[in-house]
Amino acid sequence: MSETALVDRRWIERGAERASTMRFLLWLFPWVCLLLLGVYAAGLCFYYGLNQTNMDNRFAFGLWIFLDLTVIALGAGAFFTGFLVYILKQQDLKPVLNSAVVIGLTCYSGAVAVLMVDVGQPLRAWFTFWYPNTHSMLTEVTFCISCYLLVLVLEYIPVLVKNRQLRRVPSFLVFEHQAHKLVPVLAGVGAFLSFFHQGSLGGLYGVLRGRPFAYRQGFMIWPSTFFLFILSAIAVGPSFLMLVVATAEKITGQKLVDFRVYRKLGFISGVMLAIYVAAKAIDTYVWLNVTSPSMGFGPWDYYSYWPLSSTFLFTATVPLGLLPAILFIVPRTARHRGLLLLAAALTCCGVALNRFVMTVQTLALPTLPFDPFLKYTPSWQEVATFGAVVAYGVIVYSLSYRYLPMFEAMKGE
Amino acid sequence: MFPWIDGFHWTPTHIIFLSLFGAALSAILATAAWGLWRTLGDFRKHLAAATCWRENFGELPAVEKRCRHELAGRLPSRQCDHAFDCRTCPNYDKFAALPANVPASRAGVSYSDNLLYHRGHTWVRGDWDGTFAIGLDEFAKHLVGSPESVKLPEVCDEVESEGIAWTMIKNGHKIRVRSPLAGTVISTGGPDSDFYLKILPHSQPNLRHLLKGPEVAGWLAAEVDRLQMQMSKGKATLADGGTMMPDLMDAEPGSDWDAILESTFIDR
Repeated sequence: MSETALVDRRWIERGAERASTMRFLLWLFPWVCLLLLGVYAAGLCFYYGLNQTNMDNRFAFGLWIFLDLTVIALGAGAFFTGFLVYILKQQDLKPVLNSAVVIGLTCYSGAVAVLMVDVGQPLRAWFTFWYPNTHSMLTEVTFCISCYLLVLVLEYIPVLVKNRQLRRVPSFLVFEHQAHKLVPVLAGVGAFLSFFHQGSLGGLYGVLRGRPFAYRQGFMIWPSTFFLFILSAIAVGPSFLMLVVATAEKITGQKLVDFRVYRKLGFISGVMLAIYVAAKAIDTYVWLNVTSPSMGFGPWDYYSYWPLSSTFLFTATVPLGLLPAILFIVPRTARHRGLLLLAAALTCCGVALNRFVMTVQTLALPTLPFDPFLKYTPSWQEVATFGAVVAYGVIVYSLSYRYLPMFEAMKGE
Repeated sequence: MFPWIDGFHWTPTHIIFLSLFGAALSAILATAAWGLWRTLGDFRKHLAAATCWRENFGELPAVEKRCRHELAGRLPSRQCDHAFDCRTCPNYDKFAALPANVPASRAGVSYSDNLLYHRGHTWVRGDWDGTFAIGLDEFAKHLVGSPESVKLPEVCDEVESEGIAWTMIKNGHKIRVRSPLAGTVISTGGPDSDFYLKILPHSQPNLRHLLKGPEVAGWLAAEVDRLQMQMSKGKATLADGGTMMPDLMDAEPGSDWDAILESTFIDR
């Protein structure tokens, strides 16, 4: 064993089976390249400005906002799993808790990083905190995401200092011990913050009176999309967690969690998804028959433009909504690992499609008689930055998997 | 954000919104500060070593948490749930009264009936002047042989029970040896001396957590078994029954010494 491999081995949990250093570096190599390309693209946006993107004043939300909405929904597994384990005492989900924290941290930090580029004036990012527009859903989103990212960092520290070498530092180990006692408080605060920012992300579309495709009626100050985004995020979080853990199992060839954990996550996802699909169906019915006609728009005004036709609505609701809910809930299908993971993948695709529709279709559709149907294709800088967030997530998860005790089953012999 | 900042209005929206987020942010920061404060408190009250030890103990695999009474043959099977601190174990007297059942010859390595042994492979000897000498046991000596360097605490330094007493370097491996007792260091020795440390406890120490007599034989036998298992990973093994050869780290450099040393000195 080379000296480098020996040093690397010393950072890996005792008794844990891991790929050789060379294989691990080879695995990381393409992701690091993608990350560097994205950092370069983001650097161009910082240096030259947002003219590097294909967004403009009329199409101000593009690939990056779609990415933000999607990864924040996918990262919802962190707050929901924490809520289930620490508040509702569902201890059988504990084996995936650390994994959920890492996924949440990468999703949220990736989203915040992209937002910093998207803002166009990152040096003035603090304005949103210092001069908040309290009537804006985006302000609530910014406050909640920033605070929740802080929560995730605090939740990640105890996982990080459990590393084989870091825990040899007494102050780290003592802090980990003390921080562990406080995690339930963080889980509670995290649930509160997540509930509101997931909702506000939907709410910011629902309040767009000038965009009849997105505008919704609702309860008090919250449009129906506020509640739909919360429900869909809670439904997709456990699904994405399952998919990531199953992918890690497939790549590493190791069994990391018991199948019962998958079933439980699937059942939670399924129930929440069923409630979401039902709520979404009612919402769509009210919107198409009451809200939208009152503004002078009929369904044909939204669904007669190819490729953003009614197929999207049907696909997001039935094959990517109702079908996975059934697969998750019906015991006969939930017993099969393959079907369970298929349902999880469909759920993730469904929520991603929903976020795409809310972001891109909303802005593409004309709202005035002389408006054209807008078209938007992201520039390579936008795509590269998008890719960098994905690469960043893979790298952080891979490093965490290799060097931290992410799963109970991974504890040494 | 604040009343003196441009754009702030004394409206219910501003007040409710900012109060809610102020409360959430305060809760997060207070939680982090509380964690740090308690960490500092543990160090101030000399509880840090005990906390680290309990955390380390929690990470041990079940086979390395076996109770001294199981090792002595008094009980068929029992796991320690007091971090090897028999001083706090309510069942100690009950189990210690049972007859031990381990022949001294089983140990596979020599030990003395006049010494008390710590599970981190140190021994303790009470001297006439109220001080206690601490040294490495034969098992650890056979493993490490002659260390390349030893870093001992200074005279007058304090050592904590279960804290790191001294460190040694051998073949690039850093070995951290736990102190079996708390006290003030009054003299230091080393590999060539009779002892490594001599300490003066602050009060008459309770030594119940240290192994003695047949418990030592059972424990050392289990340690030799564990060592054999760890050294024979992936290789054919021979039947046991012999004694340990000296300077194993030099004799078998290809073994997973990180894992072996972590188990031996309970330093995960």
